Amino acid sequence: MKKISSLHKVDTLIVGAGASGCLVAAKSARAGQNVLILEAGPERKLEDLFSSQIWARKLKWGGAHVEEEGNLKIGHAFNSGYGTGGSALHHFAVWPRLHANDFKVRDTYGVGLDWPFEYAELQPYYDRIQKEIGISGDASQETWRPPGDAYPMPALPVFPQGRIIARGFSARGMQTAPIPLAINSVPGNQRPACLFDGWCDAGCPTGALANPLVTYLPQALKAGCEIRHNATVTKILHNKPGTAVIGVEYVTRNGSVHQVLADTVVLAAFAVQNARLLLASRTDKFPDGLANEHGLVGRYLMTHLSTSIYGLFKEETSPHLGPTGGQLINQDNYANKQKENGAFGSWQWLIANALKPNDLLGIVNTRPDIYGAALHPFMARAARHMGNMVNIGEDVARFENRVSLSKTLDAYNMPLAHTVHNVGPEGDAMNMLAVKEGLEVFKAAGAVEAWQGPRFGMHLLGGTVMGSNPKNSVTDSYGRCHTLDNLYVVGPGVFPSSGAVNPTFTIHALALRTIEHLLKAG
Amino acid sequence: MSSRRTFIKQSGVALSYILGGAHVLMTPAAAREREIALQVFSKTEVLTLEALADAIVPGAQKAGICHFLDHHLAQAAEDCLLMIKYMGLANEAYPDFYQAGIENARIHAFNRFGKSWAELNPADSTILLDEMATDRIATWKGAPASFFFFVLRSDAADLVYGTEEGFAKIGVPYAAHIAPKSSW
Repeated sequence: MKKISSLHKVDTLIVGAGASGCLVAAKSARAGQNVLILEAGPERKLEDLFSSQIWARKLKWGGAHVEEEGNLKIGHAFNSGYGTGGSALHHFAVWPRLHANDFKVRDTYGVGLDWPFEYAELQPYYDRIQKEIGISGDASQETWRPPGDAYPMPALPVFPQGRIIARGFSARGMQTAPIPLAINSVPGNQRPACLFDGWCDAGCPTGALANPLVTYLPQALKAGCEIRHNATVTKILHNKPGTAVIGVEYVTRNGSVHQVLADTVVLAAFAVQNARLLLASRTDKFPDGLANEHGLVGRYLMTHLSTSIYGLFKEETSPHLGPTGGQLINQDNYANKQKENGAFGSWQWLIANALKPNDLLGIVNTRPDIYGAALHPFMARAARHMGNMVNIGEDVARFENRVSLSKTLDAYNMPLAHTVHNVGPEGDAMNMLAVKEGLEVFKAAGAVEAWQGPRFGMHLLGGTVMGSNPKNSVTDSYGRCHTLDNLYVVGPGVFPSSGAVNPTFTIHALALRTIEHLLKAG
Repeated sequence: MSSRRTFIKQSGVALSYILGGAHVLMTPAAAREREIALQVFSKTEVLTLEALADAIVPGAQKAGICHFLDHHLAQAAEDCLLMIKYMGLANEAYPDFYQAGIENARIHAFNRFGKSWAELNPADSTILLDEMATDRIATWKGAPASFFFFVLRSDAADLVYGTEEGFAKIGVPYAAHIAPKSSW
């Protein structure tokens, strides 16, 4: 392979064009910095986003294979994106906030890890992000909501599926509220309102859903940021004394190897690939990889414990309508993390997700035991009468759950990522309680029949956790690596605890906090 | 708005072939009708796969399940649009996964009834599918029978229910944001 050095040095080099990478790029470029994003995947544009659950798979991970083991595998290919926008291009825009009790689980409950700050520190960043991007919701109905500004847009409408399932919560004395969604309910921020057609997983080409193609990437490009696609970063480079990073090495599709120098390197390549890159950047000076003096890179890998509840109702539910992420939310079981039977962890329900006929989360796979002549009648009935909701449960940060390097190499001679993720008994117990509650809610809502789907991992978090010191974390509270001042990590990989909410809103808030600190310090 | 040609290509269901030096787009059903050469599956495998998939999801054979799978199995990781992509296998292992499953199923039908899948009556076919779905096949080797059953069922459902025509069959409005100019 031919090695080609770049002709110039940039101020800020960002690895990955997902939610946090684009935000950091926009803020840096607008502050006058010379910014370059290197994205491993191909370029995506709004007009590429075709409404098909088969085509939607193109947005998911297409890079080097990730090996997985454990009793709850992380589902890397399903949970990760590839190309402009990263995972946020196919994300469902469910944007609840973490709660105050998510930040001190070690201190309060003796499990997992603590954040190096409390909710109050992050609150203003949440408020600013929701103002910049726009969130639809009704804060007054979220009785569990932590402090924060009201949402800038009214809630999206609730369709029959949502109204029917809400009956079950109400009958059990539980509350529902519109899901806070980063989807326009009304036109705003030069983006149109949602059409409620449930194609979120295939990427939203109208721009109603706040994916990076319509939020921070345009701002970054307008301010002069350069983005190079099909550019897989294989190594982070450091200076001779090992006191700072100096840039990265990347490979293009034709196999040519390039180096780019930078004053600051920001890793925004998602939980698994950030850790893999740090580990694979080992040198004589850092034989265990960068920022890994205490063996913590790759550790505390997390994924939310998720199980769907399905039911068939007498009434027509119109399950094809609405956002894929759901219409209503319930967080009644969030505040109390210590539950009965040894269960630990918060959970939330995302209620009345829009369903398509096919795909992993489609109608057909809600009953994988039905086939042959019985399949079509089921499909026809479910398409009109099905209701569903998904439970998102907290995962405890465990030292043993990790990303490490495989002995197998990818096409660029970089070791594959090997992941291990196991759920402990407290997670099993929590999931069982949640499923029991979900089935009871569906019965109370009048479901003729109700059943549960398999448990699966939703969202990827940890692996490069932040903390108060180098002995308990890879980065400080700003995502800056403890031992390399000009190397930053952004994204859900820095979360020390998972909470039980979808992470993208928090990812934005943290990235905003990081880049403002970086610009101020710089 | 996109053209019909672009839509069917991007929808993931249309397949691209080079015929007579020109790129031709067609649906898997059309590729089957025109007997477009396969790149991965043998004729023996096709016989088993078509009958098996059609028994699981009626309509899969005519919809071109073999051409659909064959085409995507020959693609690079990022261009493969099969649901197997989500299931944790390395991309290079996909063809072996399907071929091993097909061969296991062929052997089991022969051992159990002395017939090929295409020769089975519906009742016998159902017995075998039940055994596959619940991992009750002693001779099955490699990835579990139930896993192969799940994946193939999902693939067949993609073709039969994941298109505009498939949505219409069960009364679901397709309502594409980027829509085809005509139904196909």
